[in-house]
Amino acid sequence: MDLYTKLLITAVALPVIGAFAIPFADRISTPARNSLSVLLGLCTFLAAAALFWPVCAGQTVTMAVPFPLGFDFILQADMLSVFMAAISSFVSMVILIYSLDYISHYDNQTEYYVMVVLFLGSMMGLVFSANLLWMYIFWEMTGFASWRLVGFFRSDKDVAKANKTILVTIFGALCMLVGIIMVYFDYGTLDMNVLHGEAISMAAAAFILVGILSKSATLPFSTWLPDAGVAPSTVTALLHAAVLVKIGVYAYARIFGVTFAAPDGFSTAVLYIAGASALVSAGAAMVETDIKRIIAYSTVSQIAFIFLGLASGNSTAFAGALLYILMHSVAKGGLFLAAGIIEQNTHTTDITRMGGLFASMPVTGVAFALCSLSVMGIPPFGGFFSKFLVFSGAAQNGNLAVLLMFLAGAVMTLLYLVRLFYKIFLGEAAGHDSPKEGSYTMVASVMALALIGLALGALIYYPSSYTQLLTTNLGVNLQ
Amino acid sequence: MDKGLLAYLYIPLFTAVVIPFLPKSKPKLADLFANATLLAGLANLAWLCLRPSVIASGFISVPGNGLSLLLVGLIYLVALCVTFFSANYLPEAMPNRGAYYSLLMVSVAAMCGIVTTSDFFTLYVFIEVLAVTSFALITVDETLGGVEGALKYFLLTFPASALIMAGISILLLTLGSLSYESLRTAMSSGLPAGPVTFGVALMMLGFLIKSGVAPFHTWTPDAYQGAYAPVSAHLGGIVTKISGVYAVLKTATLMNFFDGRAQGLSSGIMFLGMLSIAVGALAALRQKDFKRMLAFSSISQVGYIVLAAGLGTPLAVIGAIFHLFNHATFKTVLFLNSASVERSAGTTDMTKLGGLEHSMPWTSWTSVIALLSTAGVPPLSGFWSKLLIILALWESGFKTYAVLALLFSIVTLAYFMMMQKKVFFGKKPAEAGAAPEVSPQLLAPAVLMSAIIVAAGLLFPYFYSYVRMAAERIIL
Repeated sequence: MDLYTKLLITAVALPVIGAFAIPFADRISTPARNSLSVLLGLCTFLAAAALFWPVCAGQTVTMAVPFPLGFDFILQADMLSVFMAAISSFVSMVILIYSLDYISHYDNQTEYYVMVVLFLGSMMGLVFSANLLWMYIFWEMTGFASWRLVGFFRSDKDVAKANKTILVTIFGALCMLVGIIMVYFDYGTLDMNVLHGEAISMAAAAFILVGILSKSATLPFSTWLPDAGVAPSTVTALLHAAVLVKIGVYAYARIFGVTFAAPDGFSTAVLYIAGASALVSAGAAMVETDIKRIIAYSTVSQIAFIFLGLASGNSTAFAGALLYILMHSVAKGGLFLAAGIIEQNTHTTDITRMGGLFASMPVTGVAFALCSLSVMGIPPFGGFFSKFLVFSGAAQNGNLAVLLMFLAGAVMTLLYLVRLFYKIFLGEAAGHDSPKEGSYTMVASVMALALIGLALGALIYYPSSYTQLLTTNLGVNLQ
Repeated sequence: MDKGLLAYLYIPLFTAVVIPFLPKSKPKLADLFANATLLAGLANLAWLCLRPSVIASGFISVPGNGLSLLLVGLIYLVALCVTFFSANYLPEAMPNRGAYYSLLMVSVAAMCGIVTTSDFFTLYVFIEVLAVTSFALITVDETLGGVEGALKYFLLTFPASALIMAGISILLLTLGSLSYESLRTAMSSGLPAGPVTFGVALMMLGFLIKSGVAPFHTWTPDAYQGAYAPVSAHLGGIVTKISGVYAVLKTATLMNFFDGRAQGLSSGIMFLGMLSIAVGALAALRQKDFKRMLAFSSISQVGYIVLAAGLGTPLAVIGAIFHLFNHATFKTVLFLNSASVERSAGTTDMTKLGGLEHSMPWTSWTSVIALLSTAGVPPLSGFWSKLLIILALWESGFKTYAVLALLFSIVTLAYFMMMQKKVFFGKKPAEAGAAPEVSPQLLAPAVLMSAIIVAAGLLFPYFYSYVRMAAERIIL
């Protein structure tokens, strides 16, 4: 077993198994538990990032454990999975560091750390799985972790929203399982290397799509995501930026982008669903007054842009969509963590009761602005390039109606983020006593994400050439 | 009769006889005897089946048909959990303590008889022995609820016995013999199938009533709710599964040899299975009492096993055996946890419970594991068995059943989430007491079973190779 295979196993096994060591570390001391959690996040990120070397050199790293009935457990690192794994684990790591202060005065902290690390581990398992059944297994494990995390505060309302989250996503997952069973009986295997380039039947594709849409909170399954905002801000940041909703787009890219050739009409349908999702949720973001719900609707809307890129069927848009995943993860993680600071120090999430916070929270304000600009797609931020590529790819596809829907969506993004920033940081102070800045590690985490968003724009050459190479090497059925 | 396995029947029977002769001044001796008997049996079974060399060879050297051995192991395992739990649960000064353990041991012996026998008459005799001991076990709780539950159990399973008896008589008249083997040869010899099928159908109906399949399920919630908590774990975890579900499964595998001449019967069984899944799950959604919810959940889960048994393809039989095993493990955990909650908080009425996760973390987390396994959430064992059943249904073209069975998992998840929310998470009602965690001795069985749930899920390839070996031996 060579070094890279070991790294691959580490990236999955370390967080999954390590998560269960956290309660034992808690028996020693609280700092031991906290440092173990951050260390697990860091090591997972390093292991995932180290896999860039072999995949950039054109290698694929694989390990397999045979299971009966063709359910072999296969882990495989290719360009797409390493890309996704590195983003998720990086953002999760920043969130873990931020959590140290944010979460320190709540109950159930040990459970929180266990679940965050387990979540990260399941995500790693999901992205590296090259067998549809195992993808489904890790998919359900993320559902379990999100259930516990959304229900972090234990009031009846919180637990009810947590139950809603898991019931919606597991309903989707079961539909996806039906699709997977169809594939199993059509081809006799679930190994994605064997299935590469095959045509998938419309019914199977539709069932799998229901699972993807429910996980990535796209219309008509989008309502659970704003509701999940009852959780602590770190959890929502995790769900929006690093793991949960990204699972849906990753699965789409993996199944319909680089494995199966999706049937005609299917991609078009996805485009319309995504367009509707972008518009409806952007509209909702413009009228909401709860900071976390606004950002949540913004996620729903931005995810639709990723689907636009993935489903447009040409390599420019596909590469753009992958870049979009990266930019959105970084910027949305930053926005939620900044919202966490604001929420914790003003003790409210209602933007009508904020205003004029820039004077007392300048660093958070700047970071929030930088992240918002990236989400809006203003040059020279990273978000501009990804949005530009997605749109230029979609224009090549030539579906004018879809393009117009998304242009409207993009303009609305601009509007609701400006409104949000104005309501929170500028204007008249509305009945608060100039709350102070967040703690050092919290502000530093937010600022780091904001600056990385800026840096990614400046160094756009590297990520964009990577995604282009990825698209050329792995893409199926792209023009 | 599988003679190699008779010792597993005789030894608990012997213990049952010895227990009444133990000195009355040392009531704890009865606990010790019962636990030691079962533990020794389990150790012996583990030696037979779980040696590394046996596992490496794919379980070829396991004696007898592997199914009996697996089920004997399961019976011992659940019974051990129940006796161990009882030893620390029952009141110190309980007057009929010795009788309670004797009854448990007799019921273990009877269940071993059911799974090792190879003819219908012996099967019937042991089922009746089991019914009588269960009836007596329910009445160990001498309150009104216990007696009512016992009466319902008796009255509703009595017609089942009559049906089984009638079916057996018809079989005896037509075949001249009652061994499984003779049914098999008669079926492959091309005799007119009508009377035999009729006899089998009557028996099957009796078994279905005994296993509490809808629409004959009304007795189970009352019986489980009325009984002492460990007794309901015993009944819900293993007794109804062996006396009813195992018999259904065994008869259904024999129907394979009918070569499609009993198609109507098979599809009828499948329909009842599906009906149970739906009725049990939907009724469980509306329950206010922890134990009643578990009883309805049992009805729903038994539905999966019956559905797969009715289908009868090799994959379906593997799935059914696996689900039978899993059901025993997760339902035992949940019933024992309900007993712990009852002991600690004084009630199983979910409207009066809440917020127990802080004071009872172990009970809360073992419940989470068991309920996720019941709902078929991977990578726990319940996921694999459901997946196998659904794959088998799909493979044979019953796609509607497959999708329905899959989607009812979400209902299962919904009612258990509700239970978890009301009992363990959420706010504690003002009138609730302190509800401290129960003692480690009471937790041990639930923790052990939870560990088995996780292990059976993660070590699925080994488990699958064992169950496939068992299924091949009973089908081929």
